[in-house]
Amino acid sequence: MTVQLSRTAGRREVETKRVSLSERKQRRAAFWFLLPDSLGLLIFVAVPMLLAIGLGFFSVDGFGHAEFIGFGNYLRMAADPQFWSSTGVTLLYLVIVVPAIFVVGLGLALLVQQRIPFIGVIRSALFVPYVISLVVIAMVWQFMLTDKVGVLNGFLELFGIHGLSFLGDPQLTLGTVVVITVWFQMGYYMIIFLAGLQDIPGELYEAARIDGASAWQRFRFITLPLLRPTSFFVLITSTIAVVTGGFDLVYVLTNGGPSGATSLLIFYIYQQAFLYGELGYAAAIGSLLIVVLMAWSLLMFKLTKGGRFDND
Amino acid sequence: MVAESIARRSLIKGGLSAAALSVGALAAGSALAGCAPSSKSEEPLQFWQFYAPAPQQTGPLVQQSKWFMDAVDSWNKKNSQQVKPVFIPAYTNPANTRLATAFAANAGPDIFLLSPGDFLRYYNGDALLDLAPYMSQDAIDDFYPEALGTRKVGDGIYGLPMEIEPLALIYNQKSFEKAGLSEADVPKNWEQMLDVGEKLSTNSQAGLVLEVVPGYYQNFTFYPWLWQGKGDVVDPATQRPQLAEAPFQNALDLFGQSIKRGISPRTLPANGDLPVAFKAGYAAMWQSGIWQLAAFKQETPDLPYGIAPLPTPKGGEPRTILGGWAWVVNKHGRNPEAAAKFVVETMGSMSEESIKRVSDWCFGAKSDMSPRKSSEKLMAANGAFEESHMKIFKELILPTGRGEPRFPPVVYKTVSNALQAVQLAGASAASQADTAQQALEAYLANYRGAPLL
Amino acid sequence: MTETTRTARKKLKTARADRRWTPQKTVLFIVGVLLGLLTVFPLLWMVTSSFKPADEVNNLDLLPSHPTLENYSYVFSQVPFARYMINSFLIAAAITVLALFFHSMAAYALARLKFRGRDTIFLMIFSTLLVSAPVILIPTFIVIRTLGLLDSYAGLIIPAIFNAFGIFLLRQFYISLPAELEEAALIDGASYWRIYRSVILPLSRPIMSALAVFFFLANWNAFVLPLTITSNPDLWVVQIGIANFQQQYSSSWNYILAASTVAALPTLLIFFFFQKQIVASIKSAGFK
Repeated sequence: MTVQLSRTAGRREVETKRVSLSERKQRRAAFWFLLPDSLGLLIFVAVPMLLAIGLGFFSVDGFGHAEFIGFGNYLRMAADPQFWSSTGVTLLYLVIVVPAIFVVGLGLALLVQQRIPFIGVIRSALFVPYVISLVVIAMVWQFMLTDKVGVLNGFLELFGIHGLSFLGDPQLTLGTVVVITVWFQMGYYMIIFLAGLQDIPGELYEAARIDGASAWQRFRFITLPLLRPTSFFVLITSTIAVVTGGFDLVYVLTNGGPSGATSLLIFYIYQQAFLYGELGYAAAIGSLLIVVLMAWSLLMFKLTKGGRFDND
Repeated sequence: MVAESIARRSLIKGGLSAAALSVGALAAGSALAGCAPSSKSEEPLQFWQFYAPAPQQTGPLVQQSKWFMDAVDSWNKKNSQQVKPVFIPAYTNPANTRLATAFAANAGPDIFLLSPGDFLRYYNGDALLDLAPYMSQDAIDDFYPEALGTRKVGDGIYGLPMEIEPLALIYNQKSFEKAGLSEADVPKNWEQMLDVGEKLSTNSQAGLVLEVVPGYYQNFTFYPWLWQGKGDVVDPATQRPQLAEAPFQNALDLFGQSIKRGISPRTLPANGDLPVAFKAGYAAMWQSGIWQLAAFKQETPDLPYGIAPLPTPKGGEPRTILGGWAWVVNKHGRNPEAAAKFVVETMGSMSEESIKRVSDWCFGAKSDMSPRKSSEKLMAANGAFEESHMKIFKELILPTGRGEPRFPPVVYKTVSNALQAVQLAGASAASQADTAQQALEAYLANYRGAPLL
Repeated sequence: MTETTRTARKKLKTARADRRWTPQKTVLFIVGVLLGLLTVFPLLWMVTSSFKPADEVNNLDLLPSHPTLENYSYVFSQVPFARYMINSFLIAAAITVLALFFHSMAAYALARLKFRGRDTIFLMIFSTLLVSAPVILIPTFIVIRTLGLLDSYAGLIIPAIFNAFGIFLLRQFYISLPAELEEAALIDGASYWRIYRSVILPLSRPIMSALAVFFFLANWNAFVLPLTITSNPDLWVVQIGIANFQQQYSSSWNYILAASTVAALPTLLIFFFFQKQIVASIKSAGFK
């Protein structure tokens, strides 16, 4: 008995030792595994970010002269009509593009999921704009959208519509930028939705069909709910892509014009900093944007229980 | 527990020391940044511009690039402090962050090209070196006041202009012929300009092209229309804004009307390339500058085109604007003294070489008016003004010119916003003028810096 | 009925069903073809127009009536495009390889190792997801300059490696792997490094190849940062090259479109050669 007892105790001791040993080992390993990326993110993302936030409390002239002004830049923001109009443009852009990408991506996924001839080719065709650089995209669309002589105006001429200026009319430009954004992003989201669709067991549809459910009912009560994790992913990533990618497109295609119609907030920041030399003010707007975007990320983080997109 | 806390400590310590390291390095770096360049005078001085060394092998740029390379070579042969030309792509593109980023990070070039529109930002930022101490009085007097004036603050000279570029109305003679119009129909006043423009507008041809892209250049093209009505953005004498006055509204209206009536396009035909647009029949009249003469010669040598002074409003006077880039020196560069000597010796000395160089630039590498009297004489001797278009610029247009004004960014932007809103978004000129006036009054009340000219 | 015959019969059935043209299928086919054509039209238009001579480039015919290669030879004779492409290729490839390596290491630790502060670290990384370049361009420039990386390949490569997105996606993938994977190796006393190398990395192949393509494309297409931190024309990348080319030849669409086609070609080739992998790996990699 005693022998046995001590033996179990001994085993237990060994086990605890092994656990703590393995935990220590894990921690040490984790440290080295995380080191390169943490260091890189710290130096090239966190430090610049903190510098930007700090800069927001100064009046900076772009030549190394700075003066502490507390919340002066933030107060100025409240009274700056262009800041507000840029905020409006940004929200409008987000509110149109994110759902549009969602609907178009899902719609295309439903289409290319069908067993029809040449579907592989069609799928590739729908995806291909995604691989083209924005500089090239801007040039090609500029060429096609040229006033009077561009191919799109030439086409519209056939229907008696003429004189549209897609890049010069404030009423059309944001819409044009939206269409181009959806055009080059939709393929990526189509593939993601396709992956989600293919994970839905076919038996569910068969059962529903036997029960006499219509195509719409099957979509509404099987597809949509089971796509929830995918949908979440798409909403998050497309928001990121829209907020950051929107800048590049506006930057190369419209320069925020005409008359501020495509002046996204992130473009306004860039203008303040690089065109007007208002680095402090730009940093303040940037900080605000950083805070809002981080809050959005954290909200998503909570909603998805730590970045998991599964249902449970 | 022990193991855990050790691991945690090492993790935190690692993170902290990394943070400390990077922040420390950063602080050290920015502390050094202030003085580092001047201590390294061995390094060649960086000369940022958009001409040389050109990445292209043909076209007008090659000649201009060669001119820059020769000017730099000539200095480098005689001096130990070398100068290195750095070609900055898309330098003039307002979307280019290059120059602003460099200055913000205390890493600006030693010598660079600057337009009057950007002058005050750099001057008020204490970035420019006074070149006057390096110049002889003869040489200072050799520059035309219209060209040098906007680069002067008090007696200080903060940039040497390399060219004078007046704006005019350039018209396509083929388009006029096709529409049954003759030289006599070339507009003299605003009404005629819009009427003739209307006649010349077709499904593929814009009757009159006015600049549409927001930026310093658009404002530059806008000011002469304002001056013609005897208005101004800011009165140079009183330094008060003048935007509530009629001339500003009228000039805004001109831009608005030309689009509303379908005469002017909302985007530039042929992406802004005037000779190509004329050749393809995409534009009939275009407000543009003297530099187009060289472009026509290069791209469409056989295309007939005409030059006329900008039409004036009723009761107005003929005015145009004189643009042109200037060489400036970064006060906090590696070796500002050598940089100043380089600029003055190359562009602003009374030496034969310097006079000839400016002349060669304005007549040869480009087609411009000379900022210097002596170089202009040399150009005249070489027959620069015998060609009919150059002659019109020289005799009819140049005398009505005023140097491109220098405004701080807020003033530029206020005008630009009003102009864009009226021109492209169809806003009312009166209300935009009011808004602009109020914005400028508030801004100028607290403005500290060099006078607005 | 055995399993194999059942699947065989099913396959036969679907194959037969594939070949049948029902009205519904015909409609879907037409819709698909139309949408596909509409989508590729801008690119098609770019390519065909790049073979048109200058006086034809603005007409509305899809195909050039006098196809010419002159635009391409002009572009290559004017601009050292080959050099720009080599730069872009080297830089994008280096970033891709290093980023994949570092991100998978970090993601492995965050997904499969237990240590205190793990969730906090992940949360911090996650929160930088949306911080985008323009907002922090000037501070980033200062950092890059302080580290002495201006005007160097290192400066073009190192700062571009680090982004939270790759870590985030890889972590998702590693979490989804079954827990038993490492157990056998652990019992054998293998180090975490060995487990990572010989168990985790081989399993990551599909997601890594998908991410590799995306990273490569994103960095091939990068524009603002390379423009901001390079003065030396020998370091120019393709995007700067064509942007500058456009500035100089703004109206010569025949040249600009030829240059654009050249710049887009490598990415198109990658797509055509690897599209199966791209599509399959997006699907298999748990991008959801």
